[in-house]
Amino acid sequence: MLDQPISQASQSYEGLPVLVVKGEIDLAVAPSLRQGLTELLDAGHSSIVVDLIEASFLDSIALGVLVGALEQCRAAGGDLHLLVTEPRILRVLEITGLLTTFSVHGSRDELSSQDTRDAPADRLREVSPQ
Amino acid sequence: MMEPVGEAVREEAAERIEISFPALPDLVVLARFAAATVAARAGFDIEEIEDLRLAVDELFVSLGPMAIDGCMRMVLERSDDTVSIVGSFEGFAPRGFRTEEKGQDETWEKAAELSELLLDSLVDEHGRETRDGPPTAWLRKRRTLAK
Repeated sequence: MLDQPISQASQSYEGLPVLVVKGEIDLAVAPSLRQGLTELLDAGHSSIVVDLIEASFLDSIALGVLVGALEQCRAAGGDLHLLVTEPRILRVLEITGLLTTFSVHGSRDELSSQDTRDAPADRLREVSPQ
Repeated sequence: MMEPVGEAVREEAAERIEISFPALPDLVVLARFAAATVAARAGFDIEEIEDLRLAVDELFVSLGPMAIDGCMRMVLERSDDTVSIVGSFEGFAPRGFRTEEKGQDETWEKAAELSELLLDSLVDEHGRETRDGPPTAWLRKRRTLAK
């Protein structure tokens, strides 16, 4: 049986909830991704970690879901952190001009070395692709 | 950019494959698989194949929400160094796909802009055709060494 592509870690990391996303994240998986993020936002979390370390593919639909969640997080004074190491996904972020818009980290250790509680003031703006 | 894949390409095609399948999101993987297979047969390297896999996904995203009972149709043509793909939905119904889901419309609006950026970067040419029949999107990608 295949692993579920979206799973919420039972424990948070550095106080932030973690949504783990695996495999190919396309328009078939995007609704589950959106649901997972919406549940966390509705629960009052303004900062969320999306772990894409084991994701291998990300299309514009999935990216649109992440952008929507990022806007909501920042509107609430928080941030959406992406853990990404897959070059293909980094390239998608770069092509769409979103690599510097998202808070992108290469590992959880890298994430923990930064202040993850509040979004930088200059990022508290409406998010849109360049 | 709006010019569809023409007869000139078709005449040169060494291989032409047509597939259709129900317009279900979890079947888009079939489109990616078909594109990758044809790209490999055209001698694309792994990076180019991965570009085409993403591009064909974006091709169908660019057509908008799918009709619930619709069908995805895909024509792949391979010449010596070029892969051309035409995608369309039969039974296309704008806003007809799971619009009851919260956030669906906003997601598609964001994705359309992102999809255009990705297609611009991933393939040599792409476009949409909406004149006769259901909306159709097409792309063309040449092997790097052939450029």
